[in-house]
Amino acid sequence: MITKKTLPRRTFLRGMGSAAVALPFLDAMSPAFASSTIPGGAPVRMAFFYVPNGMIMDSWNPSYEGKFQELPRSLKPLEPFKDDILQIGNLTHNTGRALLDGAGDHGRCCGSYLTGVQVKKSLTEIKGSISFDQIVANEIGKQTRFPSLELGMEDARQAGDCDSGYSCAYTNNLAWRGESQPLPPMLDPRALFERLFGTGQPMTAEERKRQTMYRRSILDFVTESTHKLESSLGPTDRRKLDEYLSAIRQVERQIERAEKDTRPIEPGIDKPYGIPADFSEHFKLMSDMIAIAFQADQTRIVTFLMTREGSSRPYRELDIPDGHHPLTHHRNLPDLMEKVRRINEYHVRQFAGFIEKMKATKEGDGTLLDNSMLVYGAGLSDGNAHLHEDLPTLIAGKGGNYFKTGRRVVVRRETPMCNLFLTMMDRMGVHTEKFGDSTGQLQGLDLG
Amino acid sequence: MAQLTEQTSKLACLILFSAAFALAAADAPRSQQPRKPASPDAAGFDANVKPILKTTCSACHNATLNSGGVNLVPYLDSGTLNDRASWEKILQKIESGEMPPKGIARPAPEKIAALVSYLHSEFEKVDAAAKPDPGRVTAKRLNRNEYRNTIRDLLAVEFRAEKELPTDDSGYGFDNIGDVLSVSPILMERYLNAAETIASRALGADPLPKKPIESTADLKTRTLRRLDYSTVEATHRVDFDGEYAVRFGFPGERAKDAKPVKMGFFMDGHLLKTIDVETKPSKLVYFSPFSDGEVRVYLPEGDHVFRAAFLNDDFVKTITNDKDAYSDKKNKYIGSITFVGPFPSKVEKASRKKILICDPASGQKCVERIVTNLAHHAFRRPVTKSEVAAYMKFVGEAKGQGQSVEQGIQLALEAMLVSPDFLFRMERDPNPLDATKAHRLADTELATRLSYFLWSSMPDDELLSLAETSRLHEPAILDAQVKRMLTDKKAAAFADNFAGQWLEVRNLDSIMPDPDKFPEWTPELKEDLRTETRMFFEYVLTQNRPISEMINAKYTFLNESLAKFYGIDGVKGPDFRKVDLTTDQRGGILTQGAVLAVSSYPNRTSPTIRGKYVLSNVLGTPPPPPPPDVPALDVSKVGSDISLRKQLEAHRSNPVCASCHSKMDVLGFGLENYNAIGKWRTMDGKFPVDVGGTMPNGKSFQTAAEMRAVLEGNSMPQITRCLTEKVMTYALGRGMQSYDNRTINQITKTVDDDGQHFQTLIYEVVRSLPFQSRRGEAVTTLHKETTSKTKEIASK
Repeated sequence: MITKKTLPRRTFLRGMGSAAVALPFLDAMSPAFASSTIPGGAPVRMAFFYVPNGMIMDSWNPSYEGKFQELPRSLKPLEPFKDDILQIGNLTHNTGRALLDGAGDHGRCCGSYLTGVQVKKSLTEIKGSISFDQIVANEIGKQTRFPSLELGMEDARQAGDCDSGYSCAYTNNLAWRGESQPLPPMLDPRALFERLFGTGQPMTAEERKRQTMYRRSILDFVTESTHKLESSLGPTDRRKLDEYLSAIRQVERQIERAEKDTRPIEPGIDKPYGIPADFSEHFKLMSDMIAIAFQADQTRIVTFLMTREGSSRPYRELDIPDGHHPLTHHRNLPDLMEKVRRINEYHVRQFAGFIEKMKATKEGDGTLLDNSMLVYGAGLSDGNAHLHEDLPTLIAGKGGNYFKTGRRVVVRRETPMCNLFLTMMDRMGVHTEKFGDSTGQLQGLDLG
Repeated sequence: MAQLTEQTSKLACLILFSAAFALAAADAPRSQQPRKPASPDAAGFDANVKPILKTTCSACHNATLNSGGVNLVPYLDSGTLNDRASWEKILQKIESGEMPPKGIARPAPEKIAALVSYLHSEFEKVDAAAKPDPGRVTAKRLNRNEYRNTIRDLLAVEFRAEKELPTDDSGYGFDNIGDVLSVSPILMERYLNAAETIASRALGADPLPKKPIESTADLKTRTLRRLDYSTVEATHRVDFDGEYAVRFGFPGERAKDAKPVKMGFFMDGHLLKTIDVETKPSKLVYFSPFSDGEVRVYLPEGDHVFRAAFLNDDFVKTITNDKDAYSDKKNKYIGSITFVGPFPSKVEKASRKKILICDPASGQKCVERIVTNLAHHAFRRPVTKSEVAAYMKFVGEAKGQGQSVEQGIQLALEAMLVSPDFLFRMERDPNPLDATKAHRLADTELATRLSYFLWSSMPDDELLSLAETSRLHEPAILDAQVKRMLTDKKAAAFADNFAGQWLEVRNLDSIMPDPDKFPEWTPELKEDLRTETRMFFEYVLTQNRPISEMINAKYTFLNESLAKFYGIDGVKGPDFRKVDLTTDQRGGILTQGAVLAVSSYPNRTSPTIRGKYVLSNVLGTPPPPPPPDVPALDVSKVGSDISLRKQLEAHRSNPVCASCHSKMDVLGFGLENYNAIGKWRTMDGKFPVDVGGTMPNGKSFQTAAEMRAVLEGNSMPQITRCLTEKVMTYALGRGMQSYDNRTINQITKTVDDDGQHFQTLIYEVVRSLPFQSRRGEAVTTLHKETTSKTKEIASK
């Protein structure tokens, strides 16, 4: 942190106690500090942590079902939280498979992961579907300042194609707001901090009020002028403007929400400066802020793309100079497989740090973790052979006294992943019969 | 299937000569006459396609078995060639080797080749005879680069969009494709934020803090990073545009006879100031030797990377370990950077001069003039009275809040910057729902296309005024504007954005070569390589060199450190300059480190990736994606102690792999003399590098230089065509369709006939039908669904 000696005006957040400083990104909106005062008791939160390129499955799946005994190697970092996790075997994403679309398993598996549809194989005509987290966000998002947060750790690929004729949009994004509208993840911890807690520029109540008013009238004005414009446009152009209008409406809702709730929030961490070079430091900053956002009920839905699908990031931290993706095509060579295992375990270790933080945060009589379902998973199981069955899937947290954790459950082969999503939607208060290729909620996960 | 009429071939000839005729043709009603399919070469079909389709394909793909839901029996008739989409799919499956699948007897390779070439030539025939279709470009929002440049040219404000806005998705290898660029809620948030920041900075109507703020980056708190013994770096946010005093702490001292050194102070890679620093002992009595220096500079708001470095510091070269380097008795080094400010700058902001074209205190008339002028430029077209009135309301709103007129203008500007007229490049259709009606673009739309093509920014006043007097489309005037624009320094954006993506050099920032294997890979080398390729491309562009020099130039651009890396003598100093190459080790883009590094793995070269790179980006014949179940290399045959070449050769013993790998690998091996960061080598580990090979066209080569010569000698039409296709994609911001083939072929021919001069390609693209016109769009059920779904989501 750059030290600031005299701070007459631009004051740093930390150490300000309860003074109302944080004027967040849409600065007029100071968030509520939730803790135990959320009306109607603690809500359920959900998050997805997605890791790319599949896993070495012999180190992910234990040889047994039921109560956890010795954890397999990749899960070892979760040993202290063994009673808080539930591992599910055999979940499948049939829509990730080639079917008639040929090569491109990486593009497809990531595109279908939360959307449950087979995405269109195209470089420009992006077509997926709304992802289930966004369906939930549409239903319950109004109750929090941010309907959802989309986060990640690796920047989108800047040039070239991404996977065998699939647009990079499929591998760079996890959440989809509509069928042609992926939601780009935020990568920079500083930007996330400012979004959640503000830039630290103090404003008087009067200034804040005026700013909100201006924003409102600007957004009203551009909405109106866009409507006028639309009549003269063709269908594709109009669709682009509809996306724009839909984005405006969401920003308007955020403004509304913030106006109702003006209590200050104490982030409890220093404001980060940009993206740290160190992977685990980067993850820690991002995940610490997720925990705070959950705790303060800023949002209840987070999707997190650890690195983008097909990522070729080398892991210098582990003395692994080879790119992750090329390594996973290991041709069964033991030394290459060993490196992949170490990367798998390293990712889980990062996640374990987040679980620790969630578990250490009290909420009501229990912990924040108890009221959450944090899914850790991948869109491929065996990355070498591009398999879409028995996808690595693990839930941390009880989802509000629901999941019976501390064990491994193996469901019937080829059970659609979307069945789990249906169960999760139900937990989030969104009751629907069908999502993607679901055949019904997953049974046997609960305490009952 | 494209619709054909008997007239079209006649029209097609006219089009070759004049864009004006082409436009007339496009204006003619399309497909009013009953559709007459082109008559395919039926005998050729029966000889080359039917036998394979009948014996091999339809054995499974028939009405009864219906494998994969595909029945090919109806396609045994040459008449079905009009169903282009289906045939393209069939061709793709066969060409990629995906079909026939394992276990089914494969026809002889020459039979498959004959089928493939027959279908290609039939498609070409159809494309050549097709009625001209300009296609349609989807409304494009500005991408990050365009946003930044537009803000710079509109308001003279430097805004770092690449930091403040999320990454744009790309399609066809470029990030300016309208169909792919969308607006997410987070982007809208950022746009609103950016508009506030930019408008406030542009007008500067908000007051600065009353007292300056001081902040320090130092080694103790690790806010200052050591890059080497004489260089430090800090990331620091500047909160306000303004003047700042920047102080440097210099702990330590050198020997009595030490010479003073120059210290450079850099922001985001640009040198701001230099100062002299005395390094010998000061003879003062102290416990810890220390001195400091100060510069006063104007800094723009935003996050910046600041660097302070002793330049050409010979003394440091004599230091061999950290202990000595940071010992107060032995060395003087840079230990801290302190920023104090902001102080009001005496210089009137360029942005204010640009906006305040009259004194707003003089009354409403002037304020209206200011708002009109801003909207006119921001929207890149004339604005109506009622539009101006709407924006004037914001001035009134601010006034109602007790704010100044300037703050009112600021608010109106904010509104403009989030409006669709600014954020989107929209082109109007008289008949938006009729795909058969083509029309020429309005001149203002043409001006916008042109300026975003060559400058990645808004049109300047000259372009705008030619457009508004409806003269821009006149061929002589248009050519003259292209000429002017290419000599403007803003054309550097074309090198950055087009070449940066075409050659994938942008990926330099995301590759991470293994530091153990490649200790020479440093941020400086990366920037040097980037600079080399950018300057080389700019030179070919601005000096109108032949495209063949891209492949085999006898010169490149180097500074001392890059020349050393390449093993070239006689280049001194940090500045890049054109250097004539005296050996044949290097020449052209394929031998430039930037290209070689982005087409490698972090720890080794990949002939396959490099081969694919050459096929896709240079020859324009990207290999089809591998079939879904890629067979793994047979481990029993391949030991880790045989060369990569032998391993890949083993891989190719599988015929499914061989069909593509034989093409890719030969080109990739031709570049094996360059390691994964582009350094020349003759050994790969313990194996000598083996470069030689035979290209698919039968030409063979023994060295890297010979391979380039073969490409230059035999493949130039193909390379020109590839580049044409890439430039067209970038210029239009859409993917190329089959109906674009005629334009691409025609431009390729013109450029080849004209000695392949690079600028000819640019002129021809601008003169082309798809660049100058557009058509409406038929409503399909897909659109209806999408629109209603989007609305449904939006209304929730």
